[in-house]
Amino acid sequence: MKAAVVVIGSGISGLTAAALLAKKGRRVIILERNKRPGGALKRFTRRGIPFDIGFHYSGGMGKGEILRALWEYIGVWPRLVILPFPPEGNENLRIRDSGRVVRAFFSYDRLEDELQRVFPDEKQGISTYLNKIREISNTIPFFNPDLPLTPYLHDLFSPKGMSLAQLLTSLIQDTDLHAVLSTPVFLYGVPPREVNLTIHASVAHPLYSGVYAIDGGGQAIVDAFLATLAEAGVDILTGQEVESIIVKENQVAGVKTSKGEICASHVIYTGHPTSLLDMVPDGIFRKAFYNRMRNLINTNSMFIVFGAIDDPDTLGDLTWVNYYNIRTGLDIMDLDLRHPEKSIMINAPGRRDSDSTGASRGVLLIRMSAWDEVARFDQGVQGKRSSAYRKWKAESADKMIEQAGRLWGDACSRIEPLAIGTPLTFRDRLGSPMGATYGVQHSMNQFSPGVRTRLPGLWLSGQGTLMAGIMGASLAGMVTVGEIEGLEPLWDEVRQCR
Amino acid sequence: MISDEQVRRRVTQIMAEEFELEPELLQPDATLYEDLGLDSLDAVDMVVALEKAFGMKMTDEEAVRAVRTLGDLFELVSHLSNQQAAKE
Repeated sequence: MKAAVVVIGSGISGLTAAALLAKKGRRVIILERNKRPGGALKRFTRRGIPFDIGFHYSGGMGKGEILRALWEYIGVWPRLVILPFPPEGNENLRIRDSGRVVRAFFSYDRLEDELQRVFPDEKQGISTYLNKIREISNTIPFFNPDLPLTPYLHDLFSPKGMSLAQLLTSLIQDTDLHAVLSTPVFLYGVPPREVNLTIHASVAHPLYSGVYAIDGGGQAIVDAFLATLAEAGVDILTGQEVESIIVKENQVAGVKTSKGEICASHVIYTGHPTSLLDMVPDGIFRKAFYNRMRNLINTNSMFIVFGAIDDPDTLGDLTWVNYYNIRTGLDIMDLDLRHPEKSIMINAPGRRDSDSTGASRGVLLIRMSAWDEVARFDQGVQGKRSSAYRKWKAESADKMIEQAGRLWGDACSRIEPLAIGTPLTFRDRLGSPMGATYGVQHSMNQFSPGVRTRLPGLWLSGQGTLMAGIMGASLAGMVTVGEIEGLEPLWDEVRQCR
Repeated sequence: MISDEQVRRRVTQIMAEEFELEPELLQPDATLYEDLGLDSLDAVDMVVALEKAFGMKMTDEEAVRAVRTLGDLFELVSHLSNQQAAKE
C-alpha cells in the first residue's frame, strides 16, 4: 500500500490532521490499533446508557471562535448539533474545608459577579485575575486569530514565566478563592504551582468565554469526521498496530504494521512521544533525545465510576451543572493518597443529548488518581487482571459512591457502578504512560516536545504536543499539518472561516 | 561553587555521551551548529541534559540562543550554575 501521509492514531488530532491533509489533496491512511476509531472521544454503552469517556464539554464553539472555524474549514461543522450551555450552567464548587459553595459560571461577567458576591473582600484581586487571563489570551493566536501563529508556537514549549500559584497568591488572600480559580487545572492536569499563565489561560479563557456540548457527545464528533473522511477518500485501517517506522536515506519511507508495509513520505504519530522511541530504528535520534523523552513528566490520571442513578434530579440541575467537592488552597489536585476525603466531581454529559431517554440515568463520578495507586496491579492483560485488582477497583468505587451520598444526597449513595476506569484502563485504552489523561505535562517543569522531530517526514501530534483537551488536540492536528503544508498559509485559510 | 575546569569537563563528557560526538571534536572553539552538527531541535535536548546534570535552569532563551561555540556554553553553564547555587 502507498499513501502520501500515514497518520498513526485516530483520536481527534489524528482525525483532524487527516481531514486537513485530504483537503489539501493528499492521499492519507489512518492506522488505529483498536477496533473502533475515535480515541478518547468514543462513547461506550452499558445497559442502554451511553457514557462519554473524554469529551464532556468544550469552549471554542461560539461564533468567531477557533474550534468552530477549524470545523467549518474541515467541513464537519454542518454535521454537528451544538448545544450551548445555558447561562445558569456552571461548575458548582463546594469547598470541603469551609462548606462554602461557589458557582463558577462559564462567562467572564457572570463569574466575576458570583465571585465578588461570595468573596466581597477580594473584589480587586478577582477583577485583576480575570483581566490578566483575558489579556494573555489576547496574545494567543487561537483566541486572537489576527495574530500569526509562529512566534507564539516558538515560545510555547519553553518552561518560563509566572506560575498560576504565584499570580493567585500575589492577588488574593482567601484560600477558598485560590482553589476556585485553580479549578481549570482539572482540564489540563498540571498543579497550580507548576503551570505558567499562558498554558493556564489557554484553557481558562475558553472556559470563561462559554462552553458547549454536542448532541450525541464525543461519538457524534467522531462520526462527523468519519463521514467527512470517507467522502475525501481517506482510509482508516483499524486493528493495525504499527511495529516500526521505515527509514530510508535518513528520511521517513513508511511504516511496518502487524499486517504489512505501507509506503509514505510523511508519518504523523499522535500517540505518546515515549512510545515512539521503540518504533524508530537505532541511530536516528541521539541519546539526549531518548533521555529527554523517557523522562518526560506526564499529567495526572483519573479514577472514574460510570454508573446509573435512580433519581438524577436530586442534585438540582445535573444536566448543565457539574458538581464538585474540592479542598481549599492550591493543592487542589489532591493527589495525596493518604487523605481519606478526596476531591470528587459528579456530572452527566449524556443527559445533554436531545434524546436522552437512555442517557438520563447515566452519571460519572470522577477523582484524580496517580499511577502509584495501581502500579502493584500492573500484570496480566486487560480484562484478565488479578482478583486483587478487581477487588480494589470495586472497593474504591464504593468509597466514592458513599462519599457522593454524604455530599449530594441518598440517591447518590445508590449509584450503581456499571464500569470503572482506573489509571491502568487509561494506560491501555489511550496508550498513555501511567494512564496520563492529558498526555505530556505542559508545565514549568520541562520543555515539552513540539511537532517536529529530527527525522525528516516524522511528526508528532496529539494533546501532549501542544495543548490539552479536545481543543488542544485538534489544534495540534492543525499545527502538524501546517508544518507539512505551510503553517501561516493554512492558518490564513482556517481563520477566514471565522 | 563549581570551578570552570569542573564545568568544562562535565559539559564535554555530557556532549560526548548524549550526542555521540568524538571527544577530540569537543574543543572550546568548536561551533555547536557547524562543527558539531547540532540543530535547533538538538539544542532543546542539550539544554535539558545540562539542566539535569548541573541541577539548574537555563530558561533565559536569549542567553542560550547567543551560544555559538562550546566555549560560550562552558561560560554560560558556569555562570548559571554559580548564580543559581548562590541564590539557594
